Amino acid sequence: MNAAPALEVKGLSIKFGDFTAVDNVSFSVERGEIFGFLGANGAGKTTTIRMLCGLLEPTSGTAVVGGLGFGDGGRGIKKIVGYMSQKFTLYNDLTVGENLDFAAGLRKLDAGYAAGRRRELFEFIGFDRPLSTLVASLPGGVKQELALAAAMLHDPEIVFLDEPTSGVAPASRARFWTLIRRITGMGKTVIVTTHYMDEAEQCGRIALMRTGALIALDSPEGLKRSTFPGPMAELDFKGAPAEAFICGLEKAAGLLELSPHGMRWHAAFSDRAAMAAALAGLPPTAAMALINPSLEDVFIRLVEGRER
Amino acid sequence: MNLTLKAFVKKELTQALRDVRMRALMFGAPIIQLTIFGLALSTEIKNIKLAVFSGPGDAMFGRVADGFYSSGWFLRAGHAPGEDPYELIASGRADAALIAPAAGLARSAERGGGRMQLLVDATNATKARAVEAYARNIIAAQAAREYGARDDAALKFDVRVLYNPAMESSMFLVPGVMGMLVCLITIILTAMSLTREKEMGTFETIVSAPLSNAEVLLGKTVPYILLGLADAALVVAAGYLIFGVPVRGPLWQLGLAALALVVTTVSIGTFISTVARNQQQAMLGGFMFLFPAILMSGIMYPVENMPRAVIAAAYLDPLMYFVRLIRNIMLKGGDVHVLWANLGALGLMALLAAGLAYKRFRQTLN
Repeated sequence: MNAAPALEVKGLSIKFGDFTAVDNVSFSVERGEIFGFLGANGAGKTTTIRMLCGLLEPTSGTAVVGGLGFGDGGRGIKKIVGYMSQKFTLYNDLTVGENLDFAAGLRKLDAGYAAGRRRELFEFIGFDRPLSTLVASLPGGVKQELALAAAMLHDPEIVFLDEPTSGVAPASRARFWTLIRRITGMGKTVIVTTHYMDEAEQCGRIALMRTGALIALDSPEGLKRSTFPGPMAELDFKGAPAEAFICGLEKAAGLLELSPHGMRWHAAFSDRAAMAAALAGLPPTAAMALINPSLEDVFIRLVEGRER
Repeated sequence: MNLTLKAFVKKELTQALRDVRMRALMFGAPIIQLTIFGLALSTEIKNIKLAVFSGPGDAMFGRVADGFYSSGWFLRAGHAPGEDPYELIASGRADAALIAPAAGLARSAERGGGRMQLLVDATNATKARAVEAYARNIIAAQAAREYGARDDAALKFDVRVLYNPAMESSMFLVPGVMGMLVCLITIILTAMSLTREKEMGTFETIVSAPLSNAEVLLGKTVPYILLGLADAALVVAAGYLIFGVPVRGPLWQLGLAALALVVTTVSIGTFISTVARNQQQAMLGGFMFLFPAILMSGIMYPVENMPRAVIAAAYLDPLMYFVRLIRNIMLKGGDVHVLWANLGALGLMALLAAGLAYKRFRQTLN
C-alpha cells in the first residue's frame, strides 16, 4: 500500500447529452477515512462513485485513486478498489459458494488464496451457513453482508459502497455499519453513499451533493457548526393553534431556518439576541428548549432550502 | 370507459411507445416479416438446375430437353463433356440430370422402350417430387408432339432418386431444423443473459473487475458456444434415433460446421445485447433476426424459388450456409467443394459478427 491519499478529485464533471449529472466536483480523501456522500436521489452520488471506479468515463476533470490514474483504462485502479453497487450484486440463482467462486474468478484469485480470504471474511461478517445455501433464500441483511464480502475478496485498499443498506432492516443496518468501522480499522478507506441521516452521522466527513454539485464538505459536527452558527430552539405548542405565531416568526430578523419536525418546530437564529427578540411573543402555553442541530437540520437548510 | 382502465391504457401505451427501439420493433419488424413471408412462401418449385446428357446428333432428345428448359421450371446446368452426372448432383451444381438412352432416343422409342433416365437429388423431398411430376408432363407432351396425341406414352423414362430414396420429408427437414434450433437457442440465450446482467446490476460487478473487453466478452460467449455445440450434438442424435436421419459424412465436418454457426449466432446475440436496453428488447431483437433468417435459409422452402432480391438477402443469412453444409454432410456424405465454399462463407460471417460485437461492446456504463 502506498502513502498517496486514497482519492484526489479535481474538477470532475460528467454530462449525459445536455444533462450535467456531476458538475465540477473536487475533493480529496485520506487513507483510513469513512467518507460519506449525502444527497437526494439524482444528486450525483452514484455517478461520482461510478466514475471513481472506472465504470463511467468523466466528461472532464481528473481523479487519482490510491495514487493511480485512469491512463490504463482504470485496470490498475480496479485492482486496488472494491465496489458494491446499489443494485444487488450477487446472483440470486447461485449458491453462496458459487457466487464467491465467480467473484474470485473475476479477480483471477487462485483457489487457495480465495478460500483463505473467504474464511476470513465469513468470520468478519459472522456468516456461518453452508456454502451450498442459495443466495435467494438468505435474509436481506445477510445478502448485503455477503455482497460486501464478495466486494472485498481481493483485499482492496479502498472500498466503495453505494447505498449498501437500502432496503435493509434497522438492526441489520447497525450491524453493517459496525463492519464499515472495522474495515477502516484495518487501514482501508471506505467511500459510502447514503440518504440515512443516522448513517451520515457515523462518517468521518460528509460530502453533501445537490443536483450534481458538491455544496458542502466537512465532518458532521463541522457541518452543523458552519450551517448554524447561532442557537437553535425547539418549539412545542402542545397542540394549541400556532399558525399566527409561526407566520410572524417566519418574518423575524435573524431567523436562519424554520422547519416542522412532527408536532414541533425547529427555529435557528443568527445569534442569541435575534432569538430573544423573535421568541418574545411566544404563547405562554408553548415550551421552548435549546437544542443541538441535527444533520437533518443541516440537510434541510442546505439541500431542500435552496430548492424552494 | 372505466377510469382505471383508461389510466392503464394510457400508461402502457406511453411506456411502450416512448422508446424508439420499441417502436421500430413493434411496427418495423412486422412489415419486414410480412414482406418476406409473402415473397418467400411460394411452394411452387422453380429454378431447378437440370443437366442433360446425350449422344451426338440425338435431335429428338434435344427437343425433349428444350421442352424442359422452356417450361419455366428448369434452369440449364452446364457440364463438361464426359462428366459424371452423379458427381454433378453430389456437388450441388445440378438438382437433376436427364440422360438419353445410349442408342439415341428416336431409335430406342421405335424399338418400343426408349427409356431416358432422370436422376433426382432428393435431399429436398418436396423438390424431388415436383421434378418427377414436371418431367412426367413435359415428356408426355413431347411424345404427343412426336407421335400424335394418342401415343403420348411413347417416350419413357426411369427415375432414379438419389440420397433419399424413400423421399421422406424428415430427411430433408431434420438437418435444417437442427440448424434452426441451435441458431434460436444460442441467439436468444446470449442476448438475454447479457441484458439480464445489465438489468439486474450484476454487470457493474463484472466490469468493476480489472478485465479486458475480450475477457468479459469471451466469458459471456464461450459458455453459450459450448451449450450450442452440445445442442447440435443432441439434435443430430435425436434425428438419427427418431427419424433415422443418417450422418453419411465425417463427424469432423459436422463439428466444424456447427462451430462456425454457433460462433456466428452467439456473436449476433452479443451484438443484440449491446443495442437492447432490457430483456424484452433482447428477446424481440433476437426474433427479428431469427424469422427472416429461418425463412431465407432454405429449411422449409428452396432458396432458388425466391425472387432475386430475397436470394440476394439470403446470401447474408448464416443459416442458409449452414443448411447447405449440414444437408451435404449428413445426406450426401460431404462433397469437398460444397463443404469448403459454405464453410468459408460461414466462417467469414462468424469473424465479421464477432468483430462487430467486439467493436460495440463497452465496459463502461456511459
